[in-house]
Amino acid sequence: MSEITEHVKNKSLELLLEEATLNGAARILRYPKSRFFGYFCSYFPEELILAAGLEPLRLLPDTGNSTPAELPAYCCSLAKGTLDMEIRGKWQDLAGIGFTHTCDTMQCLSGIWAASGHSKTIDIVPPVMLNTSGASRYYLAEMHSLLNSLMALTQNKINKEALQDALKLCTYTRKLATELDALRPDLPSQMVSSLMRAGQVMPRLDYSQALEKCLPALKEMAEPNQHRLKVLISGAVVENDSLFAMIEDLGGRVVADDTCTGYRHYSGPTVMEAEDPLVDIVRRYTEMPPCPCKNRSLNERMAYLNDLAHQRQVKCAIIVIRKYCDPHAWDAVALSESFRNSGIRTLTLELEGADVGGQERTRLQAFLESMKADSEL
Amino acid sequence: MAKRNYRPLASVKALQKTMGRYYALTNYHRYWGKPFRRPLAWVTSGAPVELLRSFKIHSAYPEQYAAIYSARNTTVALCEIADSAGYSQDLCSYARSNIGGVLRPDLAPLGGMPKPDLLVACNNICGTVLKWYEALARHFNIPLLVLDTPYLTDEMTQQAKDYVLEQLYAMAVDLEKITGRPFNEKNLAKQMRQSAEITSLWKETRQYCQANPSPLNAPDLFIHMAPIVVLRGSQEGIDYYRKLKAEVKERVALGQGAVENERIRLVWDNIAIWPQLFTFYKMFADKGACFVSDTYSGGWASLQSPGTPMESLATTYTEVFLNRSPEFRANQLINLIRDYKADGFVMHSNRSCKPYSLVQEVIRKKVMRETGVPGLMIEADMADLRAYAEEPVRNRVQAFLETFD
Repeated sequence: MSEITEHVKNKSLELLLEEATLNGAARILRYPKSRFFGYFCSYFPEELILAAGLEPLRLLPDTGNSTPAELPAYCCSLAKGTLDMEIRGKWQDLAGIGFTHTCDTMQCLSGIWAASGHSKTIDIVPPVMLNTSGASRYYLAEMHSLLNSLMALTQNKINKEALQDALKLCTYTRKLATELDALRPDLPSQMVSSLMRAGQVMPRLDYSQALEKCLPALKEMAEPNQHRLKVLISGAVVENDSLFAMIEDLGGRVVADDTCTGYRHYSGPTVMEAEDPLVDIVRRYTEMPPCPCKNRSLNERMAYLNDLAHQRQVKCAIIVIRKYCDPHAWDAVALSESFRNSGIRTLTLELEGADVGGQERTRLQAFLESMKADSEL
Repeated sequence: MAKRNYRPLASVKALQKTMGRYYALTNYHRYWGKPFRRPLAWVTSGAPVELLRSFKIHSAYPEQYAAIYSARNTTVALCEIADSAGYSQDLCSYARSNIGGVLRPDLAPLGGMPKPDLLVACNNICGTVLKWYEALARHFNIPLLVLDTPYLTDEMTQQAKDYVLEQLYAMAVDLEKITGRPFNEKNLAKQMRQSAEITSLWKETRQYCQANPSPLNAPDLFIHMAPIVVLRGSQEGIDYYRKLKAEVKERVALGQGAVENERIRLVWDNIAIWPQLFTFYKMFADKGACFVSDTYSGGWASLQSPGTPMESLATTYTEVFLNRSPEFRANQLINLIRDYKADGFVMHSNRSCKPYSLVQEVIRKKVMRETGVPGLMIEADMADLRAYAEEPVRNRVQAFLETFD
């Protein structure tokens, strides 16, 4: 990453890349006036955290090898790592921690955290079947309950104006992230990954201002590259850029990103039409591209990802499964089949955390080289 | 031959007859289903089967077949079929062995499951069932109906109840289209009454185990729960549980225990280790330890919630214990230990069932703190024998039982 920033002396870019490397670890030092609120999943509505006067902080593990006694070994390293950090007091400055019911592990982690952690916890249980009868009414009621919980936590009323301001900031941030995502084919994969993640671990206004400032420089940096293999990546939380850097190093370029910490976090419509801002917020989270924990219809996710692959003219796909992440492991089978049927070669890569090593390099190298060999024939 | 240290139930014969008839009906569904306009549904164990029965749908349970596959030692071979189709080895072994049986029915006991006409899943037991049934829906290209029961972080909320109720009415409309039969609330009410009777009989039978010695041990509970899973709402189920209850009542009157010289009373938490059902529990029975209750088969002993049949279905199926917080589950275990005068408890940390297992350590600590009784954790798998390390398990069990000497 350093060679990238050396060429572009852009302070905003440097700030965002630093923030992504830190993953929020220096938040107290860097943003002493901000009060952060932790969350795990893109389905936790950031708008409500911001409207409560707090800064959303995506909780990411600082190591892939934690083994807190409260969780068995057959549990994902995201849950184990972040819970271990809670026990070590790494989140004690947070105003609270928000859990969204998505997978079984997150559902369990919420209860475990409440029983053994120090932080205050708040839950939202969105519908799993997003298009089923009564889902939007139920989701709206859950959103109101969450609003009440946040008001109780902060002891402050959250008014409509605060919600609308938060919606505006999120809308603007998502628009900038979409511009960044469009530049993805022409920028180093690990840099875009960093810039996307930075927006989840630092104050949102600072992020959008910095991203806005560095977008012109990024456009200048963008170099159309005909030689790199166009790759789609899909997976859950990826807390560092090591996989993206390895793909780049092996001659690939991530041109489409469907990871929880990547563009999926920002994608989907943001609307500001309803009298009640919560209605607009429910609509956004209902209509964003679904993760494997949600169902909008049986094959919608596969269809969306195939469309994305075709729009970005990808040659191959890498499905990243975090060890013990059941929803992504389940979808990997149907997703790789649907990619294969569309002529897109697919590699399923299981990782303990986000770090990649020699074993992954060998598999990735063989996969990408076979793709190159095919295209040269 | 080693001496058996537990007393078999005479009701086993009635159980075999009842379940034999059910499996025969299910496996020969292709001959009678269409003529009688009775579709076959594959359903999750927590699906609102009373509603399906009111539409004369015959239900088959992949989870129960998976337990049979496991008891007959075919899980590993079937899981390997699913593994080679791309399913991760870390996914639920019930799901993988079921998928293995779908892909290679020739390898599955009973010739695998008969092909379904529809799939009905309820996520009150886990999120896995949704992904599992999505995979089945793609494979068979048949309708998938899902009842989304929001996880209860605390008590049931009005919004959750309304949401589930609305889905149940929508499901009834879907079932009308699928079966060509109109929704009949009276039929549903009848199914609910019969289901309630079976639940009461099962609950009363279990409560006899508060006696000392306990008339039943864990393997009895696990084996005799089969009809309440598959025959909820049926007269056959009622008939069977009346017999079982009478026999258990008689045992109590005669002072007969399931385990000879019962001296340690334990409570079990989690699904049984099916491939080791008798050898595992024999380690305990040999030392005079009896499992007088458990949270798993007790899941079918919860009485129905009040309200109209649909309201009752909505609440009853949302409030199942696996859809509740660790706090709720710990209190449930504490109450069992107190009501059944248990001396300790054993938790099966089940690699295949995350919602059941991930919270167990937190629950274990709370229960030990509040009851003062010891709790043992054993790591295994409900169906996949590869996750069962016999010697380490034996050592841990022996050390645990020695604490009662």
